[in-house]
Amino acid sequence: MGVTVLQQYPVPENKTGTYVIELLTKRILALGATQQGQFLVDCESYLSLPQMGTTKTVHILHNSEQPASVFSILESGTKNIHVIADGLFDLLMMKLSQHYTSKKQTKIESKGPRFELGDFCVKLGSVTMNQSFKGVLVEVEYRPCVMANAVWGLLREFLQGLLGPSVPVQPPQHLLSRMNEIYTPIDTIYQYLEHFSAYRKLTGLRSA
Amino acid sequence: MANSVNISIEAPIENQIQEITYDGQEIYQAPLSMSENLARLAQKIDFAKSDDEFCNIKKEGESSSEVKSEEDKEPGYQSSLWPWDSVRNKLRNALTEVCVLADVLSIAKEKRYMVLDPIQPDSIESRPMVQVYGRKKALSAAGAVLLNGVERLRASETMRMTRNMPDFHIDLLRLRQNWRLKKVSNTIVGDLSYRTAGSKYSQTGVFEVTKAPEEQIAQAMSMNAAGPTPSALRVTVPPELQGVAFISVVCQKEQEEVVTATLSSSALNCPGTLPGDGAELHWQQKLEAAQNVLFCKELFARMAAEAVQLDASIPHMVVGNQIMATVLPGIQLLIGLCHNNGQNNNNSEAVKTKVVTSVSRCAPSPQPEERANKNEHDHVLEHSLHQLLRAVHHAHTHHPFPHPATGPLGPSKRRSLAGPMAADRYELLDMSKEQSLLEQIIQQAQHFFMRRRSEYVLDTIAKEVKDPLIVSHWNALNSPTQSCVKINIMAYGYDAVCRTSLVVHVGEKTLKCICRDGKVRHLSYELQELRDLIYCQIYQHQMTAVQAVGRCMGWQLLASSSHLGSGPVEPLGNASSCLLASPNGDRMIAIRCEPSVGIQVFIAQSPRKDFFVSELVQDKKWENLGGAFKEVKLEKMEGKNFLNKMELLMACLSSPS
Repeated sequence: MGVTVLQQYPVPENKTGTYVIELLTKRILALGATQQGQFLVDCESYLSLPQMGTTKTVHILHNSEQPASVFSILESGTKNIHVIADGLFDLLMMKLSQHYTSKKQTKIESKGPRFELGDFCVKLGSVTMNQSFKGVLVEVEYRPCVMANAVWGLLREFLQGLLGPSVPVQPPQHLLSRMNEIYTPIDTIYQYLEHFSAYRKLTGLRSA
Repeated sequence: MANSVNISIEAPIENQIQEITYDGQEIYQAPLSMSENLARLAQKIDFAKSDDEFCNIKKEGESSSEVKSEEDKEPGYQSSLWPWDSVRNKLRNALTEVCVLADVLSIAKEKRYMVLDPIQPDSIESRPMVQVYGRKKALSAAGAVLLNGVERLRASETMRMTRNMPDFHIDLLRLRQNWRLKKVSNTIVGDLSYRTAGSKYSQTGVFEVTKAPEEQIAQAMSMNAAGPTPSALRVTVPPELQGVAFISVVCQKEQEEVVTATLSSSALNCPGTLPGDGAELHWQQKLEAAQNVLFCKELFARMAAEAVQLDASIPHMVVGNQIMATVLPGIQLLIGLCHNNGQNNNNSEAVKTKVVTSVSRCAPSPQPEERANKNEHDHVLEHSLHQLLRAVHHAHTHHPFPHPATGPLGPSKRRSLAGPMAADRYELLDMSKEQSLLEQIIQQAQHFFMRRRSEYVLDTIAKEVKDPLIVSHWNALNSPTQSCVKINIMAYGYDAVCRTSLVVHVGEKTLKCICRDGKVRHLSYELQELRDLIYCQIYQHQMTAVQAVGRCMGWQLLASSSHLGSGPVEPLGNASSCLLASPNGDRMIAIRCEPSVGIQVFIAQSPRKDFFVSELVQDKKWENLGGAFKEVKLEKMEGKNFLNKMELLMACLSSPS
């Protein structure tokens, strides 16, 4: 498990998501990467019922990179609390349906091909919410290092080379405060949640 | 109803469950046959009511008889089709007879037309004497049985009391304490298999316990009066578990046997002590031997199955009672099952020759040597084979407890924590991997060879190279597949000045060397690589040591290079050199070290003594530059070792000339 940076790639006007994915696939294959299957990150959000006081949101995320785990993030005002559990947590959420209702129409996921290039692992995900395409997320992981600060320069250079100069590469908001801490899988999940929340707010395609 | 719904009702197809066993298996009842079904239905008829209905049936019978007679006009067609036809006929005949009987009884009751008279029964001839004899005979037979039993009881009791004969029941109690027994009808059977200890081997280990004949006990007692009393028990083990078995592990290298490990229990280690006649053996030893046979068979069967399933680059071969696996190139591991089931009178010889033949096929060496080899076999592989299968058994019976008590039973603690710890797919894949017994034993054998090879290399280098000294310390604590050696390179008398140490981790197929400068080198199973590395380290040590000695002597290091670009290309490593100047700067020592040539030492001094003014260099001051280097004949010098010589040389050159 190394440091992961999630970057959204703007889809140009009058181009489809598959076009962008194919374009990036060609680029990464030209660099000498090999495809290693597919990946999937999905997110479902549950709202607490008004009887419980202030409304809280629980996001349940799955990452195919950690197939045995279920990530849950509880949004309660200012603070986010996360719990990593095993697969039975999904069943527990079903039991809690009296208190938390699922917002089915906001189920959002990012899936696509997964590439390995030396120490890098690149995932090109097309984001869909209710079968409607929302945008493209590029995930780049540098596996040998667990400190974001130590590897950010390398990752930025790699991302710039892959995505082209038109895409501004900034450190993710979530990582800014945690640059000097050991990177854990939940940090990837937070990044996905950030982007997913942004996609949900928008109705059309996310351009920048 | 307009929208009526068709509902079909049918009996469930499955039969009734008779019993559910503890392992969840359901035992069904066989379906009822036609007659059983009829009998079951007939049981439901309430015969108490028949009185009233009998009349109804009669009336119906009268009314239906007309219909029946019409039906009878079409004979054969319907009667042959209808399965109840014969039943109906019989019932009708019975009804007719009952009706006639009722009529007769009613007529007889009126006593006008018929009178019933009692008939004298025929008197049976009674012969009292025959009866008496018959009873006497029966009683005497029963008495004989009782007397016989009493006699045997008394005999066994007196034998036990007076002649100190063993008691069957005491022996049975002892047997019961160590072995699983149960009574099946008239016999006592036991189970010596490892099933309860977690084995899943299909072969059963049932043995039977009987009482030994008294004559045999008496005979055995008279044979050796001084020895322990013979047992009153006789244990019969199935023929396939009789005799002795062991698993022999042979590693052979290019058609030559290197090591042999033999798996056997301690009793079987010296099979010569086992008497050939099984009957004389004590039951404990006999059962232990049979259990060992079963264990060896399970071990071998398991490994043979694994050998077939595993797809190694060089496929493993299973031929008869032997498994062949390639450990390292040129080295094979032979695992053989040797089982002698007691047909041969001389047990030990049969087993021995069997092993010898299996080996001598590949190694045509004289037999006495082979035997000597057998006796000093390595216990390590023997022990680990034992351990591996026992660990498998243990894992079968000892499941880790689920941490929430409601959690699933079975996954390891690591696996159950994988979710909350967010283990990625590689870790999960790692957890699902299970090594088979054969793979593990091959790894252990590989490690064994790697260790021996490294030992050999280090020992030969230590023998070849006297200066500096090579000291290797093997860690006493190691695992079956990993060990560690620390190598110290130092010169005698100068170990405080300079010592080079490096650590070599010996793995299964690779070596990992951690050098003094922190560099890690991975070496393959080839011996030469380790040899080269150690040689490079030795010359590096000499260079650093000479610099350290120079420092002690107050000499100044002018230059040093561990990778010299000049000179002929070295087969291994690079030449290194250093240049030292004496404290007052008038002498210089140059040392050049080439692994293939050795160490060369040159000296120069300034002002040079052979300075002559020439046309080009006229000024006298140039004599201070130092002259040409002259080689020192090290072998002619005094000194115990190189460093000693260098110290003497430096001391000599430091003194004012």
